[in-house]
Amino acid sequence: MSLTTQEKRAWLEKVPLFRDCSSEVLDQLADATAEFEFTADSPIVQQGQVGNGLYIIVAGGARIVAGSDELARFGPGDFFGELSVIDQQPRAASAYAVGDTACLALASWDLVAVLERDSRLAMNLLKELAGRLRDTDAQLRH
Amino acid sequence: MNQQEILDALAGLALFSDLDRPQLQAVAHTMSEESFPSGQRILRQGFSGSGFFVILEGEVGVRVDDADVARLGKGDFFGEISLLLGESPIADVVAATPVTALQLAGPDLREFLLAYPVVMYRMLQSVSRRLDRANRRS
Repeated sequence: MSLTTQEKRAWLEKVPLFRDCSSEVLDQLADATAEFEFTADSPIVQQGQVGNGLYIIVAGGARIVAGSDELARFGPGDFFGELSVIDQQPRAASAYAVGDTACLALASWDLVAVLERDSRLAMNLLKELAGRLRDTDAQLRH
Repeated sequence: MNQQEILDALAGLALFSDLDRPQLQAVAHTMSEESFPSGQRILRQGFSGSGFFVILEGEVGVRVDDADVARLGKGDFFGEISLLLGESPIADVVAATPVTALQLAGPDLREFLLAYPVVMYRMLQSVSRRLDRANRRS
């Protein structure tokens, strides 16, 4: 798969995280994201590394694993890898491809730049992370 | 606290550290000062009708299903997760000492954060750190 900037833009527009973004920000995202492909079970990001970006799944999926625990599974339209960009800590978990997988990657500085430019995107990200935190807390209590 | 003391307290908090003086004044004006005696429940797990609170003085205990899960102090904030999700609080928050806090009414949080993107970014960092810690615990 090799997506043109226009195809990336059309696809990003459908990702829930970016649903409130202006046309200019979607253009910026389509320009800034790069496409990466991973064969089944290969690592996408690794625990302990410093985070260099956010990954949005285009096809396939990702298993998020810390130590021997699977924390989450994501599919097309989902994103991961944002935590270590925002809190600037080494990655707390690894991600492995579920089947052959394609992702769009947004580098740390580009993510920070669009978050500063578009407060509705920051709000959508904040809500998504609040939901994940709630689910994690609920899991820990069981 | 008088208005000047509230401003000085706000200026020292990480959440508001990117705001200039006029913005801090606007924030102090938007939020209301509330005092709680030790032992008073500020948020109740499972009950709606809450707000967003920033602690200026004192400490609170966070309890989930009657188990203590965290203690928060000056500069910490609570209530935002349930407000962002439009759900009832996931924890009880009880004053562990006499507490002075600034409160923002629940329905105002979204507009408040959109008006102050730098505060939203600080909140995003805080939520990320908590999620990160939760992931490391598991």
